[in-house]
Amino acid sequence: MPDSVEDANPRRADRALTAAPTDGVRDEAITPASITLALPRAVDAARPADIPAGRADQAAKQVALRFDRVSKWYGPVIGLNQVTLELRSGITGLVGHNGAGKSTLLRLAAGQIRPDLGAVHIAGRHAWTAAAKRHLGYCPEHDTFYEDWSGRRFLEGMAQLCGYSRAQARERTDNTLQLVGMRDRADRPLAGYSKGMRQRIKLAQALLHDPELLLLDEPLSGIDPIGRRESIALFRELAERGKCLLISSHELEELEKLTDHVAIMAAGRIAAVGTLPQIRAVLDGHPLTIRIACDQNQRLAGALWQLDHIVAIERDHDSLLVRSRNPHGFFQKVTELAITLPLEIHHLETLDERAHDVLDYLLGGRRG
Amino acid sequence: MTSSLLHYRAWHGPWRKPLWSVWPIARVALGMLLRRKLFWALYGFALLLFLMFFFGSFLLDWAETQLAAAPIQIGRLKTDPQRTVSFLRRGIRVLNGSQDTFAYFFSYQGAMVLIVLAFAGAVLVGNDFTFRSVGFYLAKPIQPRHWIMGKCLAVAAVVHLLTTLPALVLFAQHGMSDFDYVLDVDYFTANNLGRGPAGWQLALGIVGYGMALAVVLSIMLVTAASWLRRTMPLLLLWVSLFLFMRVLASILVDGLQYDGRWRLLDLWNTLGLVGHACLGFQHRNIGNPPQPEFWEAAVTLSGVCVACLILLKMRTRDVPIVR
Repeated sequence: MPDSVEDANPRRADRALTAAPTDGVRDEAITPASITLALPRAVDAARPADIPAGRADQAAKQVALRFDRVSKWYGPVIGLNQVTLELRSGITGLVGHNGAGKSTLLRLAAGQIRPDLGAVHIAGRHAWTAAAKRHLGYCPEHDTFYEDWSGRRFLEGMAQLCGYSRAQARERTDNTLQLVGMRDRADRPLAGYSKGMRQRIKLAQALLHDPELLLLDEPLSGIDPIGRRESIALFRELAERGKCLLISSHELEELEKLTDHVAIMAAGRIAAVGTLPQIRAVLDGHPLTIRIACDQNQRLAGALWQLDHIVAIERDHDSLLVRSRNPHGFFQKVTELAITLPLEIHHLETLDERAHDVLDYLLGGRRG
Repeated sequence: MTSSLLHYRAWHGPWRKPLWSVWPIARVALGMLLRRKLFWALYGFALLLFLMFFFGSFLLDWAETQLAAAPIQIGRLKTDPQRTVSFLRRGIRVLNGSQDTFAYFFSYQGAMVLIVLAFAGAVLVGNDFTFRSVGFYLAKPIQPRHWIMGKCLAVAAVVHLLTTLPALVLFAQHGMSDFDYVLDVDYFTANNLGRGPAGWQLALGIVGYGMALAVVLSIMLVTAASWLRRTMPLLLLWVSLFLFMRVLASILVDGLQYDGRWRLLDLWNTLGLVGHACLGFQHRNIGNPPQPEFWEAAVTLSGVCVACLILLKMRTRDVPIVR
């Protein structure tokens, strides 16, 4: 068992309420007691650094999807509660436990259902209008098609609904099939497709008309590892083109590979929006745990203990487990100490900054 | 898949208006239906009725001439030539290409239409909800009304395939002189075949009757199938609407001597009234009196259509989550 040197000083017990907010995140947004306050407009962090300047920057300025105090009831049950959200270009992961309202949010964004209160806009237009849907590609979770049709025929039909003539639809279908790697298998009946192939066809139908906003509900489920890698690369490429992707997924590891920008949902509300470090940084009730090992562990522990934001220091074999409410300040101090003492640091890692941890802390371990 | 987006480029061409999506939706629905063997079996059965009308007039013409030349005797049983000729002439009146011919044709063929639609509703419309394909449709740049129009167009096409199209073929057949198929100009100008218009007016009446059937039945079927989805509940509803209500109306009007307007409950009779109006029938010549006025029938059907459209709007306002 690690030795605990947790401070009993009551002064430190108050610190959870006084942690400074990180840039782009409002301080009232996430508190352990109430996780239901939204954190809007932390979206630019999602934009990959290597987006081509011209088109991508222009796209980034434009709000692709806006939820303005949207509520939706299913009879007496509230599906979405006063959600405000803005997304621009880049990839945003939509996470939350089952029943949190992810599908409702996606369906509202896709114009499939209408809000009871508030408004949903795509590129400045009401989401359920045909003009808004020109900018939208929706890939639902379910994959039920006309089973005796071929993938190509299904896509051609969908392309014509997008406003292409028959000849254009044929050409567009062909190009999109090539994009999702299904060109050689497109003439088989859909009934014989594997789960992964069906996912690709679904993705293709969403991409047919080159939409600026892509809503993808569990797009990686059922796809083999190679297919996943390809899909992730495709999503990144699309984001680099300035497109806005909102991806709902339970595959947190895969989602983390795609983006660290997430919208976390709980009980019909957006609990938090931002990058994982931003969200993690304001989880005051759960100080960040850092494992650090150096040649003078005891001296380091003593120096760190002088800092206000250090909640606990434990010894774990040859390393220290430090719990800090201000990770930024911690790393700054460690750098200073490494130079002044001096220290030879062998190991330094954060232990609970992953999406899983953030979700567990934020949703109280109720992640679905 | 990700090597490049070389072939996948942004679309800069013009988009067609959402109204253009109506036909692809209808074509997809029809494609689903026309793949079913059951549909072709029912269609073939319905065509038997058409063939009866098509060849019936020739047969009766031929029988009448034969009867005059040599009375029929089967064994010891002799027929009364006068009664037989009278029977044949009554039959010929139904098959002589007059408005009666088409009123009967639509009436009989319509019964087949009802059966076909009861079976086809699930395929044409219900499956979109059952299998949630409607979600794919409505995520495209169209409005729910375009989906409704597409589905109604598909149902209307089935109705026309079974009624208007064969009726027009029948009209064309009567427009020819008997067996030599030379255009019989008199048929298009004469007004003495029945108790109403002939010629092109009659052709327009046929189209009008077909359109009335197509519009009302398509809206009703799309509404019913979007709520009920499965074949069996649809059949039950269809039977209730067109059979039970017919019996009820008959009991009320013929049995209990209620006002003739109670016949408006019988939607098939109401549809027939509008159809008869299209064919140019005088109200006094409509069978099975008392009957409501033509305009009352038209108003009733309009009300039914409006109610159905409201229900459809409710159904497609939110894409339902169904499993």
